[in-house]
Amino acid sequence: MKHDKNNQWLDPLLSRLVHREPAKFDFKKWAEKHPDEARLLRDGFRDSGRNVKTTIHNVWRFIMESKVTRYSAAAVVALAITLILLSPFGTPGNGGVVLADVQQRVAEVETMVIRGQKTFTRPADGEIFEFNGMKCQFDVVKYFSKQYGHTEEGYVKGNLVYRITFNLPKRQTLIVIPPYKKYVTFTSTESVTKIMEDVLSPKGVINLLLESGYKELGRDTIDGVEVEGFEFQDANPLKKILPRAVFDIQQGKGKVWIGIKEQLPVRIEGDVVIGKSLMTVFNELNLHEVNVLDKYNVELDEALFDTKIPEGYTEFTLSNILHLIPVEVKAGLVGLGIAPAGFIVWKRRRRKRVKRASQS
Amino acid sequence: MTDFEDHILVRRALQADPESFGELCSRYYPSLVAVADSVLLDHHLAEDAAQEALAEACRQLARLKKPERFGSWVAAICRNVAKDMLRELRRQKEPIPDRPAQQCDCPDDDRKAILEQAVKQLPQPLREVIFLRFYNEMSYEQMAGVLGATEQTIDGRLRRAKKRLAVYLAGKGFRR
Repeated sequence: MKHDKNNQWLDPLLSRLVHREPAKFDFKKWAEKHPDEARLLRDGFRDSGRNVKTTIHNVWRFIMESKVTRYSAAAVVALAITLILLSPFGTPGNGGVVLADVQQRVAEVETMVIRGQKTFTRPADGEIFEFNGMKCQFDVVKYFSKQYGHTEEGYVKGNLVYRITFNLPKRQTLIVIPPYKKYVTFTSTESVTKIMEDVLSPKGVINLLLESGYKELGRDTIDGVEVEGFEFQDANPLKKILPRAVFDIQQGKGKVWIGIKEQLPVRIEGDVVIGKSLMTVFNELNLHEVNVLDKYNVELDEALFDTKIPEGYTEFTLSNILHLIPVEVKAGLVGLGIAPAGFIVWKRRRRKRVKRASQS
Repeated sequence: MTDFEDHILVRRALQADPESFGELCSRYYPSLVAVADSVLLDHHLAEDAAQEALAEACRQLARLKKPERFGSWVAAICRNVAKDMLRELRRQKEPIPDRPAQQCDCPDDDRKAILEQAVKQLPQPLREVIFLRFYNEMSYEQMAGVLGATEQTIDGRLRRAKKRLAVYLAGKGFRR
């Protein structure tokens, strides 16, 4: 939103004059001070002036007495019939969600904030996968901006464990791993940029539904929001995201719940089977992910999508994780051309030498 | 709880879930204090007005026709509560005469006094956007939720308010 540039000089003055620390609200104290209102809240407004009978009566009276309403109602009925008969997208299954409309609506949304959870488990026993002593169950926040790109943050017990930032204007991706003060950065090619936009976003999920076919799950209510569910089983478009050696998606299925009123995905659940690849530190893993739409069309600070390397961070290299990779897959690494054979052999010899030296 | 939209929290509050109403209160309390402060120009009184407005909102909650507009509805209640308080205060005591404006060159206190006076002379709707914007550094979207206006309207009001302030300050010899 633009300000009148001529008067921007007033901003710091007004800020100094008016600014205060946000006032905190203490609901407990308020309830003690307002016992009648607190009782009303506890009892659920059973004795309040509004009841179903009077509401229906008022609505009926309003409809009957208003000329505008009567004429408008006639016009709306005529329009609705025309739309249902001539809709280019076909009629919705049960009067709720039309995916083509949702696709359009999602494409129009400027920003989104999504919260959720990512859990990596071992297929053999279903246990949560542990990496270097850390359980890989992340609370996730994702920021999407049509203008600036995507950022995903993963937290464990409230501590930031990773942040992946894809800056759209710069075509730059930065991955930071705060517990180890490490980073990885690379420039995204045209095709990766397109995949990031078209697959790894709410828009992408709707595209996936439309491209790969889906099963309707019917209506439900999630946290008081009326939704309609869709299930997809074909994860082929997801497989294009990254090379198999880096992230090997073998199977995928998911459910998308779309708010009937909002015409936006409000909850997305996915299950992905991942083969041994770099991103899973050469383990076979299952990923269960739940994403819930938190906010949309909110102002997101450009700084959220900054790909500047934080101070004190050093570049992440394969040698940083080599000692965590199971021995049996190291040969695979060499085979894939990700690590030179000499490098691994040298590391093992060096370790043996150090061990021998310490024993003697 | 914090993730739910207003209409869901209103619905839950109406179904005997006090915590939902508490969440709505926490969400809008800072904005309400800013709205009330823009009327009363007194922070402590503004907090009282905001709390009273929430009590009134609680009593009237079942009559709220559009729960998704809870923010602008409770802000309107707060504005009225603050105006009632101001009327009551004026009845109780003579208003303090405004400080005469000074030509200045200017020590900080004088500049502050002139700026206060400039904000005070603004019409209430313009003063309100100034308070909302600079009180808690609210975004246009949050302000839109509280004022029940579009972001363009708010931008227009903010620009008009700042233009008036600039003209007033220039007239008082206020230097940038």
